[in-house]
Amino acid sequence: MFGVVVRRLALGVPTIFAATLLLFVSVAKLGSPAAEMLGQDATPDAIAALNLKYGFDKPVLEQYLNWLASALHGDLGRSYVSQELVSETLIHALPVSLELAFWAFLFALLASVILNTVPVGRSLLTPFTTSLNVIGMAVPNFMLGLFLIFFFAIRLKILPTTGWVGWDQGPFEHLRHLVLPVLTLAAYYFATFSIIYRAEFLSVQRRLFVRVAAAKGLSNWHVAFTHILPNAILPVITIAGLSIGQAIGGAVVTETIFSMPGVGGLFVSSIVGHDFPTMLAIGMITVAGVVLFNTIADLLLAIVNPLIRMS
Amino acid sequence: MTATDTTRRLEISSIKSFGEYAWKRLSARPRLTVGCILVAFVVFMGIFAPWIAPNDPSESSINVLIGPTHANWFGTDDLGRDVFSRVIYGARTSLIIGIGGAVVAVLVGAPIGLLAGYLGGVVDLILVPVIDLFLAMPALVLALIIITMVGASFGNIVLVLGFVMWPIIARLVRGQALTVKTQPFVDAAKVAGAGPIWIMRKHVWPNLMRVIAAQFAIIVSFCIFTSASLSFLGLGVPPPTPDWGGMVRTGSDFLSINPLMSLAPGLAVAVTAVGFYLMGSAVE
Repeated sequence: MFGVVVRRLALGVPTIFAATLLLFVSVAKLGSPAAEMLGQDATPDAIAALNLKYGFDKPVLEQYLNWLASALHGDLGRSYVSQELVSETLIHALPVSLELAFWAFLFALLASVILNTVPVGRSLLTPFTTSLNVIGMAVPNFMLGLFLIFFFAIRLKILPTTGWVGWDQGPFEHLRHLVLPVLTLAAYYFATFSIIYRAEFLSVQRRLFVRVAAAKGLSNWHVAFTHILPNAILPVITIAGLSIGQAIGGAVVTETIFSMPGVGGLFVSSIVGHDFPTMLAIGMITVAGVVLFNTIADLLLAIVNPLIRMS
Repeated sequence: MTATDTTRRLEISSIKSFGEYAWKRLSARPRLTVGCILVAFVVFMGIFAPWIAPNDPSESSINVLIGPTHANWFGTDDLGRDVFSRVIYGARTSLIIGIGGAVVAVLVGAPIGLLAGYLGGVVDLILVPVIDLFLAMPALVLALIIITMVGASFGNIVLVLGFVMWPIIARLVRGQALTVKTQPFVDAAKVAGAGPIWIMRKHVWPNLMRVIAAQFAIIVSFCIFTSASLSFLGLGVPPPTPDWGGMVRTGSDFLSINPLMSLAPGLAVAVTAVGFYLMGSAVE
C-alpha cells in the first residue's frame, strides 16, 4: 500500500515541477510581461524599470527557481493587476470550485452507476444512457450551460440564471444557485464514467459467479447491485482520477458561464489580463491536483483490490 | 471466419443495387450512419455556404436583435447581421480548425507514439513521461495559456490545438505499436533482413491506420469543442470571421432578447462535434 503511494509520488512530483517549468518558460519566452503590463504606450525606460522590479531581466531558470522557492513557502507573489496576494485570492476562490467539482463528481458517479446497473427497463434505459454519453463527451460545456439557463432560468423561471450565493445566505438559496452549474459540469464526468462502467459491467455480467448468483435464485436487483457492481466499479475509480485534469478545463468554462467566483473564472480573467503570477499559481494547483487525484485513485484501488495491494 | 461473417457475406452477395448494399451496411451500424449524416450535412453547409446563405454574413443592418422572421430565419445579432447566414458560414471556420488541428495532432503524435512503441527501450523511457506530462495538463487550460502567449489567429489556433491533442494520438499509437510488433509477420520481416524504419513504415504503420482514422475523427470533435470553448472565453478566431464559439459568446448576453443568436451556433457546434465523435467511436 505504502509502495503504491511512493511510486505514484515519485512520478507525480517531478511532473509538477516539469509542468510548472514548462508554463514558466513559455510565459517568459513568448511574451514580455513588462511590456504587456504597461500597454502600448510604454517607454523603454519604464519597461526596464519594471523588469528590474520583478526580476524579468534575469535568466529564465533563475527566475523559475526564485518563483519555485517562494511558492514552496506559500508565497505565490502578487497579482500584476490587482496587486493583491495571489494566495489570498486563491483561498477565496478554491472552496467555490471544490464544492462545484464535488457535487458534479458525486452526481455523475451516482447517475452513471445507477443508470447502468438498474436491471429493469434496459430496452429504454440503454439508448437513453448511450445518448447521454455522446452528449457528455462531445457537446461543449458552454453549450449545455446555455441551454440549461435558457430553459430553466429564462423560460421556466424556476432557477436563477447565474451567480453564487454563500452558505450564510441560507442553504436553500445556495443549492438553488448550484443546480445548473453542477449539471453542466457533471455531463463530462458522467459520460466518462458511464462508458467505462458500462463496458466493465457487461464483461463482469458474463462471468461465472454472476450466473451462480442468479442460479441460487437471487433477484436481478440483488445480483446487479451486490455482485456485479462491486466488481465493475474498479476502472471507474482509475478513470475518475485520470479525468480530473480534463474536468478542470470544463470547470473553467462552467464557472465563466455561470459567473461563479471560483478558480476557473479567476484563471480566465488572469489570462485575459496577462496576470502571470495568478496564472502560474493556478497552473501549478491544477497539475498538483491531477497528481493528487491520481494518487488517491491508485490508493483506493489498492484498498479495494487485494491483488494490487500484494504486488 | 466466424459464422456471422459468412451469413453477412451471403446476405450481401444476394443484394442487387449499390443503394441497397449501402443501406444494408449502414443500417447495421447506426452510430456510424448517424455520425456520417451529421458530418456530411455540416460539410455540405460549409462548402456551399455562399449558395445556401440568404444574406452576406458580415453585412450589418439597422434591424438589430430582431427575433426570427421570414427574411432572417434565426433573427439578427447585435450588429444587425443575419444569424442564419453567419451560422452557415461558421461551418467553414469550425471544420477547417477542427480538421487542421487533428492533422497537426496526428503528424506530431503518430511518429512519436510509433517510435516509443516500436523501438521501446531508452526511446520509450524518454518519450512516455513526456506524453504523460502533456496528458496531465488539461487541454483547454494549456491551449488558453499558449494562445495568450502567441496571440489568437487562425493559424495559431490550429497549431495550438494540434499541440495539446497530440499526446492522445501518441499514447494510442504507442499501445497499438506494442501489440503489432509481437505479431509473427514482424518477425518474418526481420528475418528477411528488413531494418526498423522499413518495418515501421511497411508493416506496423498500415496496421495502425484503422485505429488512427477512428481516433482522428474523435480528435476533430475535441478540436471543434475546444476551439469553440476558446472562442467562448474570448480567445478564439478574431472577430470578422463568422465563428460559432464567438457567436455564442456575444449571443449569451442577449439570451432573453434573441435566444437563437447564441443557441443556433451553439447547436451547430454540438451537432458537428457529436457527428465526428459518433463516426470515430463507431469504428473502435
